[in-house]
Amino acid sequence: MGEPRDEDLARRAAGGDDAAFAELVRRHAPRVRALCEATLGGPAEADDAAQETFLKAHRSLGRFDGRSAFATWLHRIAVNHCLDVLRAASRRRSESLDALLEADGAALGLALSEESPAKALEARDTAERLLARLNPEQRLALTLRETEGLSYEEIADAMSCSLDSVKARLRRARAELLEAARHFSDVRDV
Amino acid sequence: MKHEEVRTLLGEWVDGELGAAEAAAVSAHAASCADCGADAARLRRLGAVLFRAAAPADPRATEAFVARVMGRVEADAVSPWERFAGRWLAPGFALALAGLVAAVWLPSADRFDLPLDAQLVADGRGALPSYEGVFEVAP
Repeated sequence: MGEPRDEDLARRAAGGDDAAFAELVRRHAPRVRALCEATLGGPAEADDAAQETFLKAHRSLGRFDGRSAFATWLHRIAVNHCLDVLRAASRRRSESLDALLEADGAALGLALSEESPAKALEARDTAERLLARLNPEQRLALTLRETEGLSYEEIADAMSCSLDSVKARLRRARAELLEAARHFSDVRDV
Repeated sequence: MKHEEVRTLLGEWVDGELGAAEAAAVSAHAASCADCGADAARLRRLGAVLFRAAAPADPRATEAFVARVMGRVEADAVSPWERFAGRWLAPGFALALAGLVAAVWLPSADRFDLPLDAQLVADGRGALPSYEGVFEVAP
């Protein structure tokens, strides 16, 4: 007999079977944690957000009707939770942090140029400050596209928005980042 | 396709989200326009530069995570007794309390629907203007 399907485990978990829910957490924790870390930056925030995602899922198991795959349903909960965290962070962020450090833009400009191999920025803080400039919806759309490779339709489904919204969010996010890289690279070259 | 139009479609082109005709038009323009070609190259690198590749899942870390989540699930859970109490006992208690309040309050409240002298008559204390005994003070 093969392993039980996610949907069967979810049904058992909804009936109070904690072992079934633990198995669901075991199966899906790596993807949920990776999404939270890519979206929120720090590992501690990501761990908290991933835990909250599973708690919300546990509380909502009674509403899981099996019409979509459990993984899709859970992913949507994770995406919504990450969006809530990003929005709260964006409200808390002080105006002073809105000013992009020249060094961050220059580092991005250099990393995007073909003079260097395409690899992640060394300083995680730099990437975080650059991404924090984007509004939460733009940042999340970009994260889903770049880290999970989701199609625009899948992003629209995960974020419960239209295809046109996904296109606009990605376009604006990328334009802002390229503009920062271009501006500060130009400053550096002067 | 015009340069400005191509610029707005570069991201969708890089992501493989354009239809065949639009993709061919953007591709032809990007091959001959240095600015668009360079931006397309930057867009292709953006994800790798801003996001670190997720580390492979460590089974021990996953188990520790499962334990943390299940600890919170347990703390969060409502016990069967609490569920029973919340569903049946609390409404029952509220109903009993409401009955008690009604039993104590309503007979006297009914009296206030009557004219004051009629209340006094009903109380067997005579008609106005005698207020004796209406506000009794315990000895």
